[in-house]
Amino acid sequence: MGELSARRTVVDGSWRPLAMAGSSLTWRAAAYFVAHVAIGFGCFVGLVVGLGVSLATTIIWVGIPLLVLMMLAWRTVAAVERLLLRAAFGVEVPSPYRPLPQGRNPLRKLKVMSADPATWKDLLYVGLLFPVALVEFLVVFPLWLATGILTFLPVIVLVDGGGMEVGAGNVSYWAGDPLSALPVTAVGLVLLLPAMYLTRTLAIGHVLYARLLLGPSRSQAENKELRERTAHLQASRARGVDAVEFERRRIERDLHDGAQQRLLAVAMDIGRARAKLEDDPEGARALIEQAHSGTKEAIAELRDLARGIYPAILTDRGLDPALSGLAARAPVPVQVEVDLPERPPAAVESIAYFIVAEALANIAKYARATQASVRAVKDGPWVVVEISDNGVGGAVAAKGGGLAGLADRAATIDGLLTVDSPVGGPTVVRADLPCSW
Amino acid sequence: MRVVIAEDSVLLREGLVRLLADAGVETVATVGDGPGLLGIVQEHRPDLAIVDVRMPPSFTDEGLRAALAVREAVPGTPILVLSQYVEERYATDLIGGGAEGVGYLLKERVADVAEFIDAVRRIAAGGTVIDAEVIGQLLGRRRGGDPLRDLTPREREVLGLMAQGLSNGEIARDLVVTEGAVEKHISSIFMKLDLQPAQGGHRRVMAVLAYLGHRES
Repeated sequence: MGELSARRTVVDGSWRPLAMAGSSLTWRAAAYFVAHVAIGFGCFVGLVVGLGVSLATTIIWVGIPLLVLMMLAWRTVAAVERLLLRAAFGVEVPSPYRPLPQGRNPLRKLKVMSADPATWKDLLYVGLLFPVALVEFLVVFPLWLATGILTFLPVIVLVDGGGMEVGAGNVSYWAGDPLSALPVTAVGLVLLLPAMYLTRTLAIGHVLYARLLLGPSRSQAENKELRERTAHLQASRARGVDAVEFERRRIERDLHDGAQQRLLAVAMDIGRARAKLEDDPEGARALIEQAHSGTKEAIAELRDLARGIYPAILTDRGLDPALSGLAARAPVPVQVEVDLPERPPAAVESIAYFIVAEALANIAKYARATQASVRAVKDGPWVVVEISDNGVGGAVAAKGGGLAGLADRAATIDGLLTVDSPVGGPTVVRADLPCSW
Repeated sequence: MRVVIAEDSVLLREGLVRLLADAGVETVATVGDGPGLLGIVQEHRPDLAIVDVRMPPSFTDEGLRAALAVREAVPGTPILVLSQYVEERYATDLIGGGAEGVGYLLKERVADVAEFIDAVRRIAAGGTVIDAEVIGQLLGRRRGGDPLRDLTPREREVLGLMAQGLSNGEIARDLVVTEGAVEKHISSIFMKLDLQPAQGGHRRVMAVLAYLGHRES
């Protein structure tokens, strides 16, 4: 619960009265508006005095270092204000400053700071802080005060001992004892509603205003987004390259351990047969038989390997028959459901196919499942592939494993592979693959 | 003759054992990985150890490293290294500690049974057999200041066969020339490469490969 409310902000929370009354954000925002005027006053005094003194003394040079100190001070106030905004409204206002130069030279740092428009926007915000906070205080505080007094009137009457008269305009009510003050509590609770809505609205307004002055400008935000996108692309390209290398090594290994060895054994058999042809025709015959079946095994192995590199059916007919073929060769019954209105790009088909192939191979090897299902459906611009089984679970996409390699391949097109496999099962491997990237 | 074999593929190991048995060579022990080789060599003191390069646990040059370990721990043990691919670097590594009783062949050479058995016997007797492919790689290199540049094509051919451990008579038969002609070629090669002529097949290989290996580093 605590974590949830920490992530929610005053902007996107629920607007239902009970939810608002129960959310700490409402009360944090109210406290901010009430207390903020004091901070604003302090800033106002500090700014007027500080700037006044430093500007007045600029002529005798003392003012220059003073101005520098002032700049550091208002930047610090702005930083504190960003923290307060997060504490009160739950919103993040990203730091807008230009990066400071590396090294120990403080003058260069100060130069960058003073040339940074964000520094001067900070000054504007700090300068406006007091008038803005005062207006906000005057709008919010009386309503909350009235709400508080009316709601807690029975308590006040009880503690005070005497009666109390409440009224507005020419309507007034005499509460002589806690019991007769109870109806006033109801009025107070009704007043709570406009108080909360007013606070909330004002808070949203303040957040927008603060973001404008304390947050990064639009072009800064776009730059940041581009940088993040570049970093993401670099990472996914690296993963793609790794995945390709991994594949090539796997193919070499399969060839070496499989067909190459088998053909070598065949060559050996035929060589021995040739040597025996004269003296031991029977032995030679047996060796030729052995070589013959060895050749057929090598052919089967090469066929499997070729299919493992790229299945012809996938190119010719697409995912549906290719996945059906995989399911048919799996040792457990596999239910296949493919619902794709049109063929996705070849890369998506290929990645989807190999994810299913790897997942089914893992099911056969480790899951001890009695049945499995494969689903490939279109979800907006995504192709979603899901392989589930009723086995023992505990599967992980360990680094260097087949699934991790496929996750890397999926990452090259901004796809995502997730493995959900609690110990005890069931296991669900899911890939979300975009059709454009 | 008694041999030990280190080869991880059961199929090939069994094939090799039978192929050797046909030729009257007894296999006294086999292992399926690199580190096990030294143990069986020390236990059986075979006339020859046949080793596959790529084996568990690392599936890289496990067999080569095992062969070098054997050469160091039990000097004088003849070793034949078999490999799916041959690399000159492996060959020079292998004969770095002396070319006596060393063989390095492509795996597929086992299919030519008679020649393979012949190579096995030559290595066990202290000879050197390096695969024609490696020799080809060494001879095929072209570099500035390469002394092989001065050899005639015929001399190159003779050097290749010589490096494979063939005697003058065998080279003469292979090239269909007289033994005298081969001797002339060889002394010309030695002269051009500035090598001292020496007796015995493996010494010549050692000289040639050591020279070429030296050129490489």
